[in-house]
Amino acid sequence: MLKRPSSRRHSTPQQIQINLVPMLDALVTMISFLMYTMAFMSLTMIDSPLPTVSKEENRVLLEGRPLQLTLSFQENGFRLWSPFQKIEESLIPKKPDGTPDHLKLHEKLLVVKQAYPSEEKIVLMPEATTSYDSIIRVLDAVRFLEKTDPPVTLRDPKSGTRRLVSTLFPEAVFGNLLGGTD
Amino acid sequence: MSIRRSIRNRRMRRTIHKDFDLQLTSMMDILVIILVFLLKSYSASTNSFSTVAGIQLPLSKSQSLPSDSLHLLVTPDAILFEGKKVVEFGPAVYQFKADDLAEENRLVVKLLDVLTRKRTEIENMKVKSVLRDEKGNPLAFHAVIAIQADKSVRYDVLRKIMYTAGVADFRIFRLLAARQEM
Repeated sequence: MLKRPSSRRHSTPQQIQINLVPMLDALVTMISFLMYTMAFMSLTMIDSPLPTVSKEENRVLLEGRPLQLTLSFQENGFRLWSPFQKIEESLIPKKPDGTPDHLKLHEKLLVVKQAYPSEEKIVLMPEATTSYDSIIRVLDAVRFLEKTDPPVTLRDPKSGTRRLVSTLFPEAVFGNLLGGTD
Repeated sequence: MSIRRSIRNRRMRRTIHKDFDLQLTSMMDILVIILVFLLKSYSASTNSFSTVAGIQLPLSKSQSLPSDSLHLLVTPDAILFEGKKVVEFGPAVYQFKADDLAEENRLVVKLLDVLTRKRTEIENMKVKSVLRDEKGNPLAFHAVIAIQADKSVRYDVLRKIMYTAGVADFRIFRLLAARQEM
């Protein structure tokens, strides 16, 4: 009697089909959820503290004759000055097209930062007509160091070593917020 | 004749059902690509700041994600605090009504009322809360107010708002902007 031929050799290859429908459902649900909760415009923030109100605090602060770097927004450009003449007053004129020169302002501030690397504060004095956009642009120019900027180092008084400073003047205060009129 | 057509139709319907096999693999590929893209550009943040149509935020290089805080939105027609209209501008856009201003046009009265009420409400909640600091005192209220405005808003409008917030003892102004891709 002949042996029965092997069924393994003669069987036709069966197609395995994965049921993709539940996976598809899950993907569609996930995409819908992500699109619903996604913020298409990412917001960022710049914190600015309220200027010191207390007269006593102000008196103590001013006794030490600090740098108190001040940036006034003027019709013809920016004026960078210190009430105690710690730096030479400088005017950063507007560009020929009438727009503020943020690049020159940044360069000037960098020079001040190199002279006073521990200083973090700057007082901003915008005009009544200054736009919110201009204020934010100036805040960017005064707060951050660019990658292309020369390094600014600060000596650590405890260890005596020098460390890199990563910001320019991050603490910006609106100096004419409480006083002055339109 | 009609019976014959019906039988033929039924047969055809059966054959379509038998042979019809939707190719889901390519659809899965597309969905996976969309999902990967969404996951990559998904920014998870804790804030719930909403905006309104017609407001164009200024761009900023700041990379700080805005944390949750009380939200003040300046639209061309009104000032919204926590999504509710508190002050209406008029007759022109971003122009306060004379009745709404006090203290030499520096203070926005209705806004001061709302901010003071909110501050008192939060402080009362903190007092009643079981959460305490190390000394057993109620947790401090971080008086931070996030300000969101169109890039064309003038500083005199912002100054009135910030001055009013300062009078209501909000000590940090969080200026919101759209993040500029570096």
